[in-house]
This record gives sequence, C-alpha cells and structure tokens, in this order.
Amino acid sequence: MLVLTRKMGEGISIGDTIKIKIVEIKGNQVRLGIEAPVDLRILREEIYAKVQKENRLAADWDLADFRKVIDSFTKGNEDL
Amino acid sequence: MIIRVASTRFGELEIEADKVINMPDGMLGFNEQRYILLSSGSGPFCWLQAVDNPDLAFIVVDAKTTVPEFEVKLTADEYRLLGFTGQAETVVLAVVTMASNPLDITINLLGPIVINPYAMTAIQVVLEGSRYSTRHPYFDDSLTKKYQNTELQDENANIGLEKLYAG
Repeated sequence: MLVLTRKMGEGISIGDTIKIKIVEIKGNQVRLGIEAPVDLRILREEIYAKVQKENRLAADWDLADFRKVIDSFTKGNEDL
Repeated sequence: MIIRVASTRFGELEIEADKVINMPDGMLGFNEQRYILLSSGSGPFCWLQAVDNPDLAFIVVDAKTTVPEFEVKLTADEYRLLGFTGQAETVVLAVVTMASNPLDITINLLGPIVINPYAMTAIQVVLEGSRYSTRHPYFDDSLTKKYQNTELQDENANIGLEKLYAG
C-alpha cells in the first residue's frame, strides 16, 4: 500500500480525473473532499461489509419456515 | 439446451440454459456466478438459486413493485458490466431477509440486484448515499393490507419477471 503524509488543505491526484483533498481534521476524524467523474461509485468501505453481512443473513433460510410465516400472515390475521 | 440444477430447497431442477443469469462479480460475499430465478408459485416472492451451489439461494422481490419510488442510478462501468448496448430496461430485485414474525421481514435496498434481461447478466450494486438501508421493512401498512386482501398473492404482482423465470 502506498502511504503518503498530507497536511490540511493538501491533496492527492489519482490519474487525470480523481482528486482527493484533506478538508478538515477534527480529533480522530478526517473529512475528505473528493473530485471524481460523477458516475464513479465512491463507497465508504464499511458499506460493502454491511451488504455482505446482510447477504449472508439472507442466504440462511428454510423453505418450510418461509411458507409457514407467509401462510400465517395471509390467513387474514387482521390484528397483525 | 436443458441443464440440470441441484438445489437443497427445491430438489433437482431441469431448466433451459438460456434462463441462467450471469453475475460476473457474484453476490457480495459469495463467489457463485450463475443463478436462476424461480417463481414461488404465488405472491411477490421468488427465489434466486445458485446454479453451482445447491445450498445457496436467496429470496427476492421485485424492488420497483415493492417500493415504487425506489430508483437505481447505474454508473457507466456498471452499464458496461451488464452488457448494455442501447436499450436500458432493467429488472431490479431486492434480497429478502426472513424473520419468524412477518412484520420483521426486511428487504435490502442498499444493495439491490440489477438485471439486464436482454443479456441475462446481473450485478449487485451498492448505493452509497441513498436513503435506503439493508433492512427496509417489507410489510409496510399498505402492503400488509394488500397482501391480506390477497391482491398480491394471486397475480405475480405485474412484476414483469415472468420471462426471466427458469421454473
């Protein structure tokens, strides 16, 4: 991994189209300003992990349980 | 051409090879790259079964039907990955997380699956900055009423998924 030291207001360029700037440093938080083509998807890393985790949860299911839950729901359980 | 797909939940399936949906990047956290969409027979739920792993299947719903205002904006890269050449009609699925109480069932709107029905290619996109979460309640008030009035149970909820169904 390339590691660079930057000060407040300084930045880095990635290729011709991406610029990242240190906008604010407060305690243990750093705010980054990112200039990049509008249609490039820029993600906080943990968002990926969140979707991954939800996928794992979602993949763990049982057909009989599923039918039971949905059937119970459709039998006009008005007070639900 | 007919191919056989073994599945833990639905048994041995024989499906048309052209019903296979290719996911070059897979589902996040999973390596499997080929899936088929199966109708559950009734209601808005359907199954996304991995072709190469009998144990792996997701419950999915049509995202646009479930949450009409839901919108996915794809990047140029994503269009390319999906093999779009002109027509930009997509099918968007949301993965369902089951729960023992129906009211706790959620759908993942932060990571929807976008399918190009012409190329039978799909990707799971992550929508940073959207107001949707991985745990959007499935049964909101209006859907609960509809469901219990069987409106959604009988029709396949006009979801236009029929042509994608492998079985």
